Parts: sequence; C-alpha cells; structure tokens
Amino acid sequence: MNGQTFWRQVKEIARKDLLIEGRAGEALFITIPFGAVALMLIPLAIGTDKPLLAQVGPGMFLAVALLFGMLVAFRQTAADSTPQRELLTLLGTDPAAQFVGRMATSTLLLLVFEAVLAPVTIILYNPGRIPGWPWLLLVMFLLALGLSLVGTLAGSVTAGLRTRNTLTPLLVAPLSMPLLLASAQVVEALREEASILLWIALLATMNLAIAVIGVLTARPLEESSR
Amino acid sequence: MRKRSLIVINLLAVLAIGTGFTFAVLAPSERTQGDFAKIMFVHVPSAWLAFLAFGVTLVGGVVWLVKKSPLADRIAASSAEVGVFFTGLALVTGMIWGYPVWGTFWDWGDARMMSTAIMFFVYVGYLALRRSIPDPETRARRSAVLGIIAFVQVPLVYFSVTLFRTLHQGTTVVRPDAPIDPEFLRALMINLGAFTLVYLAFTGWRTRLARMEDELEEAEAVSDFEIAGSGITAPRLGEVTGDV
Amino acid sequence: MARGDLHFPAVKEGVPIAALSGVGVRFGRMPVLRGVDLRIDPGEVVGIVGPNGSGKSTLLRILATLLKPTEGSASVLGAHVGSNGILAARSGIALLGHHPGLWAELTLEENLTFIARMAGAPTDGVATALEQVGLGGAKQRRADHSSHGMQRRVEFARVLLIKPQLLLLDEAHAGLDRAAQKLVNVTVSDVRRRAGAVVLVSHEPDRMLPLVDRTYHLEGGSLLPNGPAS
Repeated sequence: MNGQTFWRQVKEIARKDLLIEGRAGEALFITIPFGAVALMLIPLAIGTDKPLLAQVGPGMFLAVALLFGMLVAFRQTAADSTPQRELLTLLGTDPAAQFVGRMATSTLLLLVFEAVLAPVTIILYNPGRIPGWPWLLLVMFLLALGLSLVGTLAGSVTAGLRTRNTLTPLLVAPLSMPLLLASAQVVEALREEASILLWIALLATMNLAIAVIGVLTARPLEESSR
Repeated sequence: MRKRSLIVINLLAVLAIGTGFTFAVLAPSERTQGDFAKIMFVHVPSAWLAFLAFGVTLVGGVVWLVKKSPLADRIAASSAEVGVFFTGLALVTGMIWGYPVWGTFWDWGDARMMSTAIMFFVYVGYLALRRSIPDPETRARRSAVLGIIAFVQVPLVYFSVTLFRTLHQGTTVVRPDAPIDPEFLRALMINLGAFTLVYLAFTGWRTRLARMEDELEEAEAVSDFEIAGSGITAPRLGEVTGDV
Repeated sequence: MARGDLHFPAVKEGVPIAALSGVGVRFGRMPVLRGVDLRIDPGEVVGIVGPNGSGKSTLLRILATLLKPTEGSASVLGAHVGSNGILAARSGIALLGHHPGLWAELTLEENLTFIARMAGAPTDGVATALEQVGLGGAKQRRADHSSHGMQRRVEFARVLLIKPQLLLLDEAHAGLDRAAQKLVNVTVSDVRRRAGAVVLVSHEPDRMLPLVDRTYHLEGGSLLPNGPAS
C-alpha cells in the first residue's frame, strides 16, 4: 500500500467520524456540558474560598479535561460494530490508518472541549493572569493529542465489550497520568517563572511514544490478521 | 510445568522464606530507623517481584502475538495476577514503613511510591480487561497489546514522577535507600531470592490452574457443540406443550 | 489503482478465485471444519447448504480472509490467507452477512460514498447504484431511519459499486421482500459477467438453486459435493 493511499484513508475516516459527531453531537452536546457541570460542582464541594479557588482553578481544569475529555476520545458513536469493522477490513483499510484517522477527529473534538471549558474555568475560578500564559495553549494541544492517543488505543482494546464504558476509563486514567502531571507542572512553573522546557519535552515524548505504539499495534490488534 | 517440579519449587520457596525470615530477624537494627527498617525485607522484594512479574507479562504477550501459543498467554495472565498481588503488598508495606519514618502514610514526592501506585492501577485494568473478554483468542490478543502499552508506560511514569520529585526536594525526612550495612544487605539478598521462588511457585500454580480452566471451558464447548452438531433438530413443540 | 474489470492477476492467469486445501478450523479443541477442499474458478457460482451450526459462516469467513485456517491452506484472489499479500486482495472481496455494516448517523448516500472512497472506487457511481437497488428516492435518508430491508438493499448497492471479484452471500434471501430478492440475481450475474465468482450459503437451498452452477453440502464440518445443480 503506498503512502498516498494511507493518508487518503486517514482523511476519509476522520471525515466520516466528524460527520457522525456532527449528527450525533455526543461530544459537543453531552460531554462538554457534563464537564462544565463538573467544574461547577467542585467549588460547591470545597467551599467558595476565592483565593483557594484561584489557586486550584487550573488544576481543576486539567483534572476535568482528563476525566471527561477521555469520554470524548472513546465516545460511543465512534465505536465500530463487528460488521462495520469487517467491512472496513474488506475495503482494504489499513488498521493504522484507522487509528490515525480516529485519533485526529478526537484531537479536534478535544480541542473544542478545552476551548469551551477554559473560559468556564476562568469565569468560575478567576485564577488571575498567569505569566507566559500563551504557553498553556501549546500544553492544551499536547494534552488533547495525548489524551486522544491513549483514548483511541484503549478504545480499540475494549472495542465491542459489554463493559466497555466502564472499563475504558479505568485503563485510560492511570496511563495518562504523566500527561496530567506534566501539564500541571507547566502551570506551576509558569507561575513561579521557572523553566517549562523539561515538562513540554515530557509531554511531547509521551505523545510520541503512544503514537508509535498505536501505529505498531494497530495491525496485530485487528482480529482478522491472525 | 509438571506437578512434581511445582511441588519441588514450593518446598524450596517455603525453606527459603524461612531462611529469609531468620536472617531478617537476626539482622542488626538500622541506625536511624531502628527495627522499622526491617520491613524493607518484605517491601523491597515485593516491589522487585512486581517489576519481574509485569516484565514476564510483557514477554508472554509478545510471544503470544508471534507464536499464538496459549501457554504464553496463560503465563502472561498468571504473572500479571501475581504481580498485582505483590504490587499491592509493596504499597501497603511502603505505607506502613512510611508512617513512623516520614510521619505520613503517603508521600506525594516519592517517585517509587507514586509510580508503583499507578502501575498497580494499570494492571488492575489489565486484569479487568481479561475478565471482560469471553473469547480466548481475542482475550489473548488484546491483553498482549495492553501488556505492551502498560510496560512502556511504566518508565515514563517513573521518569515523570522523578522529575516532579527533584523539583520539589525537601518533603521527605529520610531517604529509604540510605547506605546499607553489609549484614543487612545479605539478609535483603536472601529475601529477594526467597520471594523470587515464591513468585515462581505462585505463577506456576496459577498457570496450571489457567490450563485446567481452559480445558474445562473447551470440554463444555465441545459438549455443547456435539449437541448442536448432531443437529439442531426440528423443534418438538407438540411434545413439550403436551407435557405442560 | 483504477478499478477496471480484470485487475486481479488471479483472473488474468486462470488461477482459481479461491482455493482451499485440507482446511480445518478449531476453536480451542472444538473442530468446526475439517479437511475442506474447494476450488472456485472465475465465472463460477457455488452454493453451500447445511443446517444451523454446520460451519457455513466459518467457511465463508475463511473465504473472506477474516479467519485464518488452523490446518491446511487457503488462497483467495491469488494471495495466501495469512500472508501480507492478502491485504491488497481483500478489496476484491465482498461479504454480505446478516447485519449490514452501515454507519447509523450517515445517510445511505454518504455511507456508500465513504465505502467507495475507502475502496478507491469512483464515487460518481453511488447515485446509479442506489437507483439500481430501488433506493433512488431514499438516498438522503439516514441509515438509522431506514428499515432493515432498505439497509440490506444498500448492501447490494455496495456490491454493484465496488465490483468485487469474489462475492460471498450469507443467507442472501433472508429478510428481503420479493422485489428485493431479484437483487440477489442481479448482483450474482453482475459478478459472474465480470468473470468473478460467487459463493452463496444457505440453510434453505430452494431459492438459491436456480442461481448456482454446483452445490456442496456442509455437515459436521465436512464439505461433501452434491454435483451440478439440477
């Protein structure tokens, strides 16, 4: 299979997944409001101490982005049934193209998710101006990418299982811990005006490692490849 | 593994644990921590076995993907189960050790403790995945892949937490790996060996049990098949309703 | 790759479309197929009859390259099942099973357009294919708003669109109304005309008998020839 065909398949799969999300609205109209509600619940649980909320605001954003964002990555409407998977196989689809295409759509949706939740966090928690905040945009992108990589990978491991909806978060949450830690440390380093280079490098390494695993395991994961 | 060799390993493990325990009791008290440090004889071997066990799970998964041998999958599964047990033991003993020494059960700054906890949950997820997949082939395939992801993740977790820790120095009171007395070290090594034998015994028995489970499952499947094969015959509704 | 009629080397060189030799399948220790030999040449239509649980679907999945045999060897469209070459051969195979593989939120037309693009077939045939199966007026309908019968028709449109060399039909007539049953005949003769081959599998042979060149009987995992169809 030549490279052009691979990327064309990636494009078609990403397009199809976007179209489906546009119709079903699972991420946009269900998960995003759910995440916003979660951001509202936390101040009610820990008390409305303004300096405290300003302090924990970015961290709460990251935790909610991780816990709810993963729901975007393995949303039900992007899960293929067995006949659909078999059809894709017989159309000559490269499993790696499927992984990349699906992951691309999830990253895009996660960016939208973050773009909505970030202002909600600022309004509710009033974290103040963080020096060098434009760096956080890069962090948000790397977080979205990493989360969609882990989520897509875990989603293909749990595809078609009855316990899929409860099992996938259990797999994704511990595996994406370095993403959360590194993102949170960038916020802290920016506040203390320290270097963020190591943490950005860690985020990038993490993304790269999972991307490589995802592409390499795509074919062995395909049931019919035996 | 043969039943006879398993029994031999069992006996050796029991002997070794007894020896290890004796050496642990006789080892001198540590200078700053006193007898508290002796929990190290359980804690350190447990943590070491956790890594060994998950390494074996990784290898078993890779071997399955290449050779599709059911034995490799059974070993991978058994080793993960034993590994989760030892990871839990390492965490609990770590917390028990931490309380008198650090003054807290949990130290957020300790890279090993944090990464061990994450590893525990990753492999709890691995076991949950196995339980969720009824078809043996699909189960072996997917858990092999998850075993690979999980094992690649462990160093990343460890590195990130170490990095986290080095930037937040000064939270812990005593480093658990302060210079070790040679007598202490000898006792630790004996316990490491003893625990490794325990690991072999546990994993061996568990693998054997897994084979028996598979055989039972197959026997049931074959008997179902024979009923179906000799023909799902025409339904005899008349006779059934006649009985009612 | 242009989707001409004869782009698979197997067809050009007179190599069989599919060849199974000594194929056996076990799930664990449970034998499902044993010692199956089968050769299907270009232009042939083969029927396989057998009761529920006799291994028909398993045999079809082997021919579809979705399952690798435990014993024996299978090659489809000139490529060995289990080798890397099979990835390219797969786009010449179509399997129509019990459940249509359609994406619920997409319209029937979008489903087919996606399928065509993934297979590298021209998308301008989508509208024609939908007309041919009698869904010209329903192409804007979402798949989840379409009846099962309509979804089955889309499956036949898919075959007309991507022009497979090997068509595998699992209980093709089930769940279709009388008008739609003609689609089976239309697609089968379309594939035959292009020197492809068709395998029909059914537990009720009556309706497929007029279509096939020869039939086999599958029972207890063994394939027995019935000779040419009457």
